[in-house]
Amino acid sequence: MEPPPVAAPVVDDQALIAAAAAGDGSAFGELVTRYERAVYHLAVRTLRDATEAEDAAQEAFFKAYRALGSFRPGAKFSTWIFTICYRCCCDRLAKRKRLSGEELPDRADPSAGPETLAERNDEALRLRAAIDALPEKYRAVVTLYHLQGRQYEEIATVLNLPLGTVKTHLFRAKEQLRKALSA
Amino acid sequence: MMHDDDFDDLDRALAALPLEAPPPSLHARIMTATVYRPAPAFRTWELWVAGTLIALCGWLAWYVFSLPHATERIAGLALDLVQQAGLTSGYTLLWLAVGASAAWWISQLTIPQPARRTQPR
Repeated sequence: MEPPPVAAPVVDDQALIAAAAAGDGSAFGELVTRYERAVYHLAVRTLRDATEAEDAAQEAFFKAYRALGSFRPGAKFSTWIFTICYRCCCDRLAKRKRLSGEELPDRADPSAGPETLAERNDEALRLRAAIDALPEKYRAVVTLYHLQGRQYEEIATVLNLPLGTVKTHLFRAKEQLRKALSA
Repeated sequence: MMHDDDFDDLDRALAALPLEAPPPSLHARIMTATVYRPAPAFRTWELWVAGTLIALCGWLAWYVFSLPHATERIAGLALDLVQQAGLTSGYTLLWLAVGASAAWWISQLTIPQPARRTQPR
């Protein structure tokens, strides 16, 4: 009779970061596996463009990899990588705005109004569309809030905003979401 | 006044909203750009040292050649060196040619390797 399979021990982020900083590529690969989905989600919701979001996510991990040595021990990797990713997205939004004047960060997306939302029957699609229609500052807060387990403090750090502003933004974003979904 | 309870349904909907799946190629792209990225041929400090040395050599060459009669003096110095090394003698040149051709011939030789014996298990 064969012994039951032994589950591989779950290595915490701190150990993986230390190993990756020491040159262990597979440790960094594990960090990428853990966070690529969340990072991509943040990028795609912030930029509203899947291709650009992929580039931004890659750029964020590249910057994190190069700066692994400067990572503060004890800090949360998720906060760090989300901060890097959000900055990459902001740079891209600023560049996009410079080039075409297309996106104004504080303005809602006019293409996804209540009429458009009403046509989308699927609840998830409607919710996603409603998030996309939020102004950029609210969209980022809701997206980070939506990434399970992100606390106000972590959102404040990532977005470099005071805690009170994060709470206000989240409240207003939810108000707008509720209004959009009930329309 | 904020009432989080007012958003219960919305919070539930947000919590139930699945995160968008990244494209399957994203992981490989990230790994290629980071862990598997080939190391640069030169490090930054090596490029700085090389650049500084080239600039120094350039400045030195410009300084030397800007001296009065620099070309004649350098040509004379080179001729002296050649004469001191005996490179003007035909006999020395002949031996140098013999040595060079012998070196070239040896470099072209292919020495057959003896077949390796396999170790019995």
